[in-house]
Amino acid sequence: MDQFTNLISWAQANVETTVFYSLAFLALPLAYGVVFDRVIIRSGFLLIGVFGTISGLFLLLQAQFLAMAQIMIYAVGITLVVVIALMLTNPRLEQDLSPTVAVNKVPGILTALFLFATIYFACRSEEWPVSNQLLNPDNVQVLGIQLMTNYALPFEFASVLLLAALMGAVMLAKAEPGQPEVKDELPRMEATDRSDEVVKV
Amino acid sequence: MSKSSAYSLAFMLVALLLLAAYGTGGAGTVVGLLCDGASQGLKPDEPLFKFFDLVRNGVDFEVFVLIAILSALAIGAGARPMVVLTVGSIVGFTVLTIDQSPLIRYLSLAAALFAIGLYGMVVSRNAVRVLISIELMLNAVNLNMVAFARYVDPEPLRGQLFAIFILTVAAAEAAVGLAIVLAIYRNMSTVDMEKFNLLKW
Repeated sequence: MDQFTNLISWAQANVETTVFYSLAFLALPLAYGVVFDRVIIRSGFLLIGVFGTISGLFLLLQAQFLAMAQIMIYAVGITLVVVIALMLTNPRLEQDLSPTVAVNKVPGILTALFLFATIYFACRSEEWPVSNQLLNPDNVQVLGIQLMTNYALPFEFASVLLLAALMGAVMLAKAEPGQPEVKDELPRMEATDRSDEVVKV
Repeated sequence: MSKSSAYSLAFMLVALLLLAAYGTGGAGTVVGLLCDGASQGLKPDEPLFKFFDLVRNGVDFEVFVLIAILSALAIGAGARPMVVLTVGSIVGFTVLTIDQSPLIRYLSLAAALFAIGLYGMVVSRNAVRVLISIELMLNAVNLNMVAFARYVDPEPLRGQLFAIFILTVAAAEAAVGLAIVLAIYRNMSTVDMEKFNLLKW
C-alpha cells in the first residue's frame, strides 16, 4: 500500500486544496439537486446544504464573519422564508406537471454551458495580481471599522433598503380587505385524491 | 442490474479513469492503487506513467469536451441523468482547475454555480424555484467577491464589504420576491410561470 501512503501524504501537504475540492464536490451535486429535484420542498432543504458548503468555503478563505452571516441569513433565514412560501403555495403543481418548461430546456443548457465557458476562459487568461499575503487575523475588526468610516453611507442606505423591503413585503403579502382568501372559481390544476387529502389534513 | 444502472456505472468508471489519467502525482497514485496487483514495483519512469504525463500536457479543455460528449452519449443511451451530471461535472471541474492557481479554482466553482442557477432560473416552472435559483446565483457572486478579497486585495478587504452589501440586498430581494409570489398565488391560485400572463395585452 505504498501508493496509498503517498496519497495520504499528498493530502496532508495540500490541506487547502483537499478541503476546497471536497467542499466543491459537495456543492455541485447539491446545486444540481436544488435545480432538478422533482419535489420542490426537498430542493428547498437542499439549498441549506449548498449554503452550508459555501459558508465552509468562506471559512477556507478566512472570511469568518461572512461565513457566520451566510449561515444565519441564508441557510436559516432565507431558506425558512422559502420553505414557508412553498407551504403556503400550491404543492399540487409539482405532482401533476413536469417541473420544467420543455421549450426552454435546450436553450437553457446551451446558455449555461456557454456562460460557464466564457467566465472560465476569461478568468484563466487573465494575469491576476495575486498577493500571497495572509489576511489580518482579526479582520472582523477591520470590517467593522471600514463599515463605520469609509462605507458609512452605503451602510445606512442598506438599513433603509431593508426597512423599505420589510414594509413592502408585509404590504404585499397581507390579505386585502373585502377579498376572499382563495378564489375557487378560477381554473386550477386537476386535483388528485391524494392531494385533496393533504389539503384537508 | 437494469440497463440504466449499467450505463451509469460504465460512464462513472470511464470518467474516473479519465480523471485518474489526467491527474497529478496524487491521481496517478490512484491509478497505481487501482492496478496495484498488476503494477508491483512500478517506477515513475515506467511507460505507464509516461503515458499519463503525455495525456496531462495542456489538454485540459479537450478532456473536458470529451467528458461532455461522453455524458451526452450516456444520457442518450439511457443512463441516469443525475448520476451522469454529477460525476461528469465533478470530473470536468477537477480537470479544468487542478492545474490552475487557487484564485482561478474559486472563480471556476463560482462560475459553475452561477451557470447552474441560470439554468434553473430559465427552465423552472414554479416561481418559488426561480427565486431559489436566483439565490444560488447571488451566492456564487458572493463567493467571487470573497475570493478576490482573499487573493487580490487582502489589506482593505473591499471584497468582503461588498459581499456584505450583496447579502443585504439578497435578503431584501428574497422577502419582496416571495411576498409577490404569495400575492400572485392569492389572486391566480397558481405559481406556474407559464400561467403568468398579466402583462400580456
